[in-house]
Amino acid sequence: MTGQSSYVLTSMDRIMNWARANSLWPLAFGTSCCAIEMMMSSMASRHDLSRFGAEVVRPTPRQADLLILAGTIVKRMAKPLRVLYEQMPEPRYVIATGACTISGGPFTYNSYTTVRGADEIIPVDVFVPGCPPRPEALIYGIMTLQKMIKTGEAYGQPYQRRRPITAALPPGMTQAQLQKEIAEFLEAHATIDVDKAAHNNRWEKERY
Amino acid sequence: MTDAELFAKLQEVDARVVQLPNCRPLAVEVPVGFLLAFMGKLKSRPDLRFIQLLDHLAMDWPEKNEFELVYQLYSIEHDLLLAVHTRISRESPYALTMSRLWPIAQYQEREVFDLFGILYEGHPDLRRLFLEDDWVGFPLRKDYKDYFMLEMPE
Repeated sequence: MTGQSSYVLTSMDRIMNWARANSLWPLAFGTSCCAIEMMMSSMASRHDLSRFGAEVVRPTPRQADLLILAGTIVKRMAKPLRVLYEQMPEPRYVIATGACTISGGPFTYNSYTTVRGADEIIPVDVFVPGCPPRPEALIYGIMTLQKMIKTGEAYGQPYQRRRPITAALPPGMTQAQLQKEIAEFLEAHATIDVDKAAHNNRWEKERY
Repeated sequence: MTDAELFAKLQEVDARVVQLPNCRPLAVEVPVGFLLAFMGKLKSRPDLRFIQLLDHLAMDWPEKNEFELVYQLYSIEHDLLLAVHTRISRESPYALTMSRLWPIAQYQEREVFDLFGILYEGHPDLRRLFLEDDWVGFPLRKDYKDYFMLEMPE
């Protein structure tokens, strides 16, 4: 924004990325215990994911653009997962939560079924470690993905993908500290000073 | 009914049962030869009436060279739980099917056949349950090897 004028100087990509980051539609794809934490973070009232613009969990891949891999991927599930990923419209983003989707987790060795890491099947943008990760950790991972989308790091086009990053919560952080931090973040970014907004209103100035 | 009273009744049914130590609920071991007759009496006797087969599972003991089969039974009338163990050889893993007594045993035995390769004589439809039909080998055996499996480094 430039002062009093009413036009915006930016590039189209930045606007598109800003819009995409704030309206992520996840696909309901849960294969084991991490899915419980995903439900906790997306639907339960204590950790409400809709505060960050990602609450519309879709049951069909045609309407979703974020794939949250929650749970172990076994060999028989690998093919349907790849089909689901191909059905999603571009740009599409992938978050892998939990130890099993990162490396196979406790089933890395001497297992006859478990795929050792979901990035053997589909490209992954953000890894969220944990077994399973807490709902705060998943929200932190989604916020990391939003940051990546806004800065253009995760432009969901094929063959243009950077290396995946790991979004781990800092060690030793408690739930109360994290909730306080999220509350401060929301207060700073979602509060409108009504008096100030009214004072800056051009029509109000002309009236008086 | 306490465990001792239940075991006394089981000895009335068949004197060759052995109680396994440190097991709650009660676990007994029966030689495989008269397992089917023993199970039939457990189901039909009016003071026992084990009419529900909760679970059937197997264990692999390669150093003893045998499979151990476990049948978890429940009596709804008398509120009794019982585990019946039996042992079969690893070279010839044959056991008689329980599907005539409890029809749910068809699925449980198909699962055990799928993962351990135990052959149930008299089973009406012994196919794999979870794995693909063209799977080679039985993956829950201790000596199972696979091109996909990763060995644990020492």
